[in-house]
Amino acid sequence: MPLENSWIFPVVESIHVIGLAAFVGTVVLEDLRTLGLNIPGTRHLKAWTIAGLAAILLTGVVMFLSDPTRYRHNPAFRLKIPLLVLALATQGPLRRFGPRVAAVLSLILWTCVVLAARAIADFDV
Amino acid sequence: MSNPLFEFARWLQDTSLRLDLSQSTWAVPIIGAIHVLAIAWFGGSVLVNDVRLRRFRWIGISILIFTGALLFWSQPLRLYYSEFFRAKMLFLLLIAVITLLPARHARLAMAVSLALWAGVILASRGIAYR
Repeated sequence: MPLENSWIFPVVESIHVIGLAAFVGTVVLEDLRTLGLNIPGTRHLKAWTIAGLAAILLTGVVMFLSDPTRYRHNPAFRLKIPLLVLALATQGPLRRFGPRVAAVLSLILWTCVVLAARAIADFDV
Repeated sequence: MSNPLFEFARWLQDTSLRLDLSQSTWAVPIIGAIHVLAIAWFGGSVLVNDVRLRRFRWIGISILIFTGALLFWSQPLRLYYSEFFRAKMLFLLLIAVITLLPARHARLAMAVSLALWAGVILASRGIAYR
């Protein structure tokens, strides 16, 4: 697929980053609130959180499919996916350890996901 | 004849920090990663749009400007010539004007600046590809 060389890839990637700002941004604030910081809730922004997540997953799959071999062999990508699965689990299964533990894990894991994601471009082999 | 912006970029290009930044294996990846993290931090506090988040917003924008300045420093001349970088700076300038002017139409200003932020991110990704 020549997607890599067209204007489509940067646009898809931009939507990925915009989704990141909406999704991770609202999740981080909600986590900090759970940890007791006096900040407003993001419940009324649920639509942004969900739309952001949908945008990230959709554009992420599109980018992966544009060059699966590249991503499968990229060390940063191979690190990112398990981190992503764990980060998503903080919204569900990991809640059983209590909301505060889930919030701390969520903050750490989403940070690592973003760091690993950004590193994909730096670790092309 | 001489363009002050170009002169500034050329001056930065010759500094030793530019050399250190562009030759280091880890500097630009790490600064770039922190820049993206700050986008998430800042994006959330802009969407929530509550006065209690003012400090969050200032922390976010400060990190963005600081890491952004270092990223510019790592390749000043290339960015000076990049159309996408110029578009990004123009959008940021417009956002600053909209934000700092007394808001007469708050919702309209919010909508326009959100659209401009989307433009900033689009232009930013474009920089990497041209």
